[in-house]
Amino acid sequence: MDLSILLVLVQDGIVNGAIYGLLALALVIVFTVTRIIWVPIGEFVSFGALTLAMLEAGQMPGTVALTALLGLGAAAARLWAARARLTPAGVARCLLTALLPAGLAALLAWACLAWGAPQPLRILAALAIVTPMAPFLYDTLYRPMAGASVLVLLIASVALHLALQGLGLIFFGAEGSRTESLADSLLEIGPLLVTGQSLIILAVTLVLIAALALFFGHTLLGKALRATAVNRLGARLVAIPPALCGHVAFTLAGGIAALGGILISATTTLYYDTGFLIALKGFVAAVIGGLASYPLAALGALLIGLVESFAAFNASAFKEVLVFMIIIPVLLWRSWRMPAALDEGEE
Amino acid sequence: MPHRLLLPLLAALALLPLLPGFPPFWVTLLCYAGLAALVALGLVVLTGVAGLTSFGQAIFVGFGAYASAILTTRHGVSPWAALPAALLAAGVMAALIGALTLRLRGHYLAIATIAWNVSFYYLAANLDLTQRNDGISGIPPLRLGETALTEARAFYPLVLLCLGLALLATRNLLDSRVGRAIRALRGGALAAESFGVDTYRAKLLAFIYAGLLAGLSGWLYAHLQRAVNPSPFSLTMSIDYLLMAVAGGVQHLGGALLGALLVTLLRDQLQSLLPALLGAQGNFESIVFGLALVMLLQGAPQGLWPLLMRPFARWNGPRAAATPPPAAAPLPQRARPAPGTEILRAEDLQKRFGGLVAVNGVGFHLEAGEVVGLIGPNGAGKSTTFNLLTGVLAPTRGAVRFLGTPIAGLPARRIATLGIARSFQHVKLVHGMSVLENVALGAHLRGRAGALRAALRLDRAEEARLLALAWAQIERVGLAAVAHLPADSLALGQQRLVEIARALCLDPVLLLLDEPAAGLRHLEKAALSCLLDRLRAEGMTILLVEHDMDFVMSLTDRLVVMNFGAELAQGRPREIQRNPAVIDAYLGSAA
Amino acid sequence: MRKFAAGLLLALGLATAAEAADPIRVGVVLSETGPGASLGIPEGRSIRLLPREIGGLPVEWIILDDGSDTTRAVTSMRKLITDNRVDAVVGSTVTPASLAMVEVAAEQRVPMISLAGSAAIVAPVDERRRWVFKTAQNDALMAGAVADTMAAQGVKSLGVIAVSDSYGDGWIATMRPLLEARGIRVVAEERYARTDTSATGQALKLAAARPDAVFIISAGTPAALPAKALRERGYRGPLYQTHGVANADFLRVGGREVEGTILPVGPVVLADQLPESHPSRAIARQYRDAYEAVHGAGSVSAFGSYAYDAGILLQHAIPVAARAAAPGTPEFRAALRDALEGLRNVVYVNGVANMSPTDHVGQDHRARVMAVIRNGGWQLLGE
Repeated sequence: MDLSILLVLVQDGIVNGAIYGLLALALVIVFTVTRIIWVPIGEFVSFGALTLAMLEAGQMPGTVALTALLGLGAAAARLWAARARLTPAGVARCLLTALLPAGLAALLAWACLAWGAPQPLRILAALAIVTPMAPFLYDTLYRPMAGASVLVLLIASVALHLALQGLGLIFFGAEGSRTESLADSLLEIGPLLVTGQSLIILAVTLVLIAALALFFGHTLLGKALRATAVNRLGARLVAIPPALCGHVAFTLAGGIAALGGILISATTTLYYDTGFLIALKGFVAAVIGGLASYPLAALGALLIGLVESFAAFNASAFKEVLVFMIIIPVLLWRSWRMPAALDEGEE
Repeated sequence: MPHRLLLPLLAALALLPLLPGFPPFWVTLLCYAGLAALVALGLVVLTGVAGLTSFGQAIFVGFGAYASAILTTRHGVSPWAALPAALLAAGVMAALIGALTLRLRGHYLAIATIAWNVSFYYLAANLDLTQRNDGISGIPPLRLGETALTEARAFYPLVLLCLGLALLATRNLLDSRVGRAIRALRGGALAAESFGVDTYRAKLLAFIYAGLLAGLSGWLYAHLQRAVNPSPFSLTMSIDYLLMAVAGGVQHLGGALLGALLVTLLRDQLQSLLPALLGAQGNFESIVFGLALVMLLQGAPQGLWPLLMRPFARWNGPRAAATPPPAAAPLPQRARPAPGTEILRAEDLQKRFGGLVAVNGVGFHLEAGEVVGLIGPNGAGKSTTFNLLTGVLAPTRGAVRFLGTPIAGLPARRIATLGIARSFQHVKLVHGMSVLENVALGAHLRGRAGALRAALRLDRAEEARLLALAWAQIERVGLAAVAHLPADSLALGQQRLVEIARALCLDPVLLLLDEPAAGLRHLEKAALSCLLDRLRAEGMTILLVEHDMDFVMSLTDRLVVMNFGAELAQGRPREIQRNPAVIDAYLGSAA
Repeated sequence: MRKFAAGLLLALGLATAAEAADPIRVGVVLSETGPGASLGIPEGRSIRLLPREIGGLPVEWIILDDGSDTTRAVTSMRKLITDNRVDAVVGSTVTPASLAMVEVAAEQRVPMISLAGSAAIVAPVDERRRWVFKTAQNDALMAGAVADTMAAQGVKSLGVIAVSDSYGDGWIATMRPLLEARGIRVVAEERYARTDTSATGQALKLAAARPDAVFIISAGTPAALPAKALRERGYRGPLYQTHGVANADFLRVGGREVEGTILPVGPVVLADQLPESHPSRAIARQYRDAYEAVHGAGSVSAFGSYAYDAGILLQHAIPVAARAAAPGTPEFRAALRDALEGLRNVVYVNGVANMSPTDHVGQDHRARVMAVIRNGGWQLLGE
């Protein structure tokens, strides 16, 4: 293995690691705020990318209808949850917050198709279509069972993943798609050939991480989310509404996942069912961070990306075996480092 | 754990195919549901009871299936003779994987099982041994004499037999000394360790047991399907098994059965019904299946089994009144040191948590047959001292000798074997277990019977002696009337008494009680005082932390006073009451 | 329990309803979801193009989805046999599931036509495989054509990258002796997964071995990833693919990076370019037109044609069997098996089938043509 190959592998690993890292961040946000291990995040990766691919191909993606449908469901669920203390203003707010994003998404999609929008606008449209699904799903599916154990919430997530994957097959078909690259250029830096898209992926990841750090560190809402993550009951006692935190967490996670899918679909082919495996690696990274630490999760993601890249070069048939076996000692180390607490498990 | 409805359910399953007009294909479905139920049953033990989430059960199904497939197709072994090998393969691999992974906690463990499963899948798909992705086909069917068990109707009785035996063995296992240790893992691991349970071994045991059930399922699968390839052993299948267990009710043996039936039948019905309802194009099965499952979980977060059992609660629930277990020969007791000999000496104990010094330079000794109170204001470091003495925490500095043995830094379960028993400031009883079972957990070290003897019910003589002992201790603390109730349904004060009974089961030389009188009413306190007095008369040494000063002053022989982690004074209760430093610490801080 | 009772009643109802009329029933098990979906979906669509009447007898096609899962493929087949009392089973889409279904076919004595590639499903024809036939070209038939073309184009060293599933395994095992016989050295052999997000590592390894050509073994759009990675990493040599990629989606995703790729294809892909003398020209065009009339221009793929050909085989065999026994009986199924084995010179989309007691595929060189990708479309190679 010479230096140039090494550098290319490192670059490849970093780019994939960045995507895993984004998903890990999203998973940590959702888990800390709602205790939900959000398996269907993989479908948001696929939905984001494939929705964009369909917009590029000049077709109306099925996700638009799904978002509208989920918006109606979310509005109904919100009204039902608040049925005891409904005011006209409350009804209007419930309807508006649920239906407005769905309507906006449909409008954007239609506009893109009607006037052949440039790529950045199509990306915005794809994000606007896919992202609202996340909080809508939170309203309709998770909120009615907010008190359930982590395991039950996890299994509900698995069920939702199955349903969304089935919808993905109907919307997008079994074959994969790629999307247009935002930057087609190749840069030569020393011995290294860098694609423009991989630079974009890195830049977006870094900007997102910085933005999240700002959000959690310096905004009231971000601090409320952090408080909820640290102590759910305490946050409730100081009047931080859990539903609002859930909405924000899911919106962030859904948006990040869809963006991750859009970013990577310019460098690889994505399928209706690719998301699960990408999300699984993001999840592994998140767990390396203890489902709590953002920097450790990002480091874990980088590790997975690099191992994957080098395993693909050295022993491609056993790539997944290597990637997942490397995880075990890391987990042992992390678990050993965790403060001793014999009593655990759910009550 | 109520199991009384399992037998009728199993009998119904056995008789169903005999009904006239029972669709023949459903027998096939029942076979596959039975196979899945075996795996889900393992998950009930592992996840529902022991609290260890596994996403890797398909691995052990795979080891069982591949072992049998390879032996029967390549080495001419008869399928029956391959069963022990299949079980051995699954069991040994479960032991190996478990040994490497069970040190992990919580989510780390779940992720590790995912990692093992993904690796197993890709190994099976890339190794010539397992014939790669195409797998091994042409596996011989099981034979009874001349008849080959190829038809589902012929195979089904075997599935039922395996399932019945597995249910029986699981019930036996959970209702035993080892079973109590496994049940204590979920939320009661610290207490279990303090009574000599090696929780790591208990975890490993649960893991191996679940692996064996999965291996059995794999062996059946190989000879029912007569072809194996990696796809039935993928992560997706492991998730499916967990999904079945949770949908059925992951804390109930019947939940495994019900979940497997529900998921198998629902999938099959959707496969036939949906194309008829929604037209030919497009596949809506997974969508409808996923949504149906979410709705089920919303309606019944504990799973379907408890929901269905609700109408039978009276019949199936705990007995209306406690009945003592049959009398049994008493267990041997350990020799007590002569009254007045020194049994414990702590010197210069220190414990730091980062920059915080919780205990600083505490030293005292205990003599056999005396009751010593450890008192001090809140936050003085009393409970930390208890934890240092019992091995829950290792001291940063200092030494503890118990009956001549240095015990500082030893694990809790080693210290328990030496004869130190304790209760906890925050009551640590195992949820869902009855008072009797909780107390019997304290007798863990007084029995020997292992998992195999438990599963085969060869442990009954010993179990009777353990339960008789537990009952005697419950009577002693005056809780005989509620011995059959779930321990967590009792009032807090009573729960403290349960903890004392549990501690007594260990046959301790030294009893450490952390606020035993808190939450007790006046009469109960008097009774407790009497009990402790009697124990002292029997030669027991007692160290107690307590805030009720009347209780402490009237009962104890000596007092050790702590403040801000340091020792403030030692002496007879009367001297302490007059000690200006103590008065200052108690009143000064308040004033 | 109520759900169970409802299911029971329903199943009983279905059983009695099925007894009322007496058409010929053909069960179809396809991977319409899961990893095999890109193959299973066009197959399902093609089955729906088949006639509802054969030789004056009504035919019912009952399609079940196995989700690309072996266990479900086998239970679906058992359901079709015991509940629907089918006279024949078509499927499944992928090799592992088909191999498992062979056991059921032999046990239940039901003729089965697999749509998967591996020769191991039907060869050697023994007691178990007596009941099993196949319409997809054996990997060896396609591989021979590829190896010949490589030799003719002067390839001496070859890099191989195969998808890590049954398809990849089958091709690698088949190609090895063929390449050896033609003096072509395999200098690098890599694997990748259908859903991988990057094949950069493998592409580097391949490029570093400096082979004369690279052979990519994969089905559908996943085959584009290694091609793109190779070109991105500066590999300029010729690329070969398998017939698995011959659908419009591959061209769409592959774009200009797959230009010039050489591959074997089933006749349907080049229906219009086939010489007039090719026996399948007419039927291939007819099938393509029928398919594209429903699903849009350019939508046809070779995979669907396997299912369509299974239908053609049955259309020839059922009238023969119906003369010997009444549909729905074990005798009819045995007669159908014999009739399938006795089929000679049956022209279908993938060439001409000549079954025999030792060959249950019955195809020859007319089942494949070599093609090259030019200007974003398929072209006959060398013409």
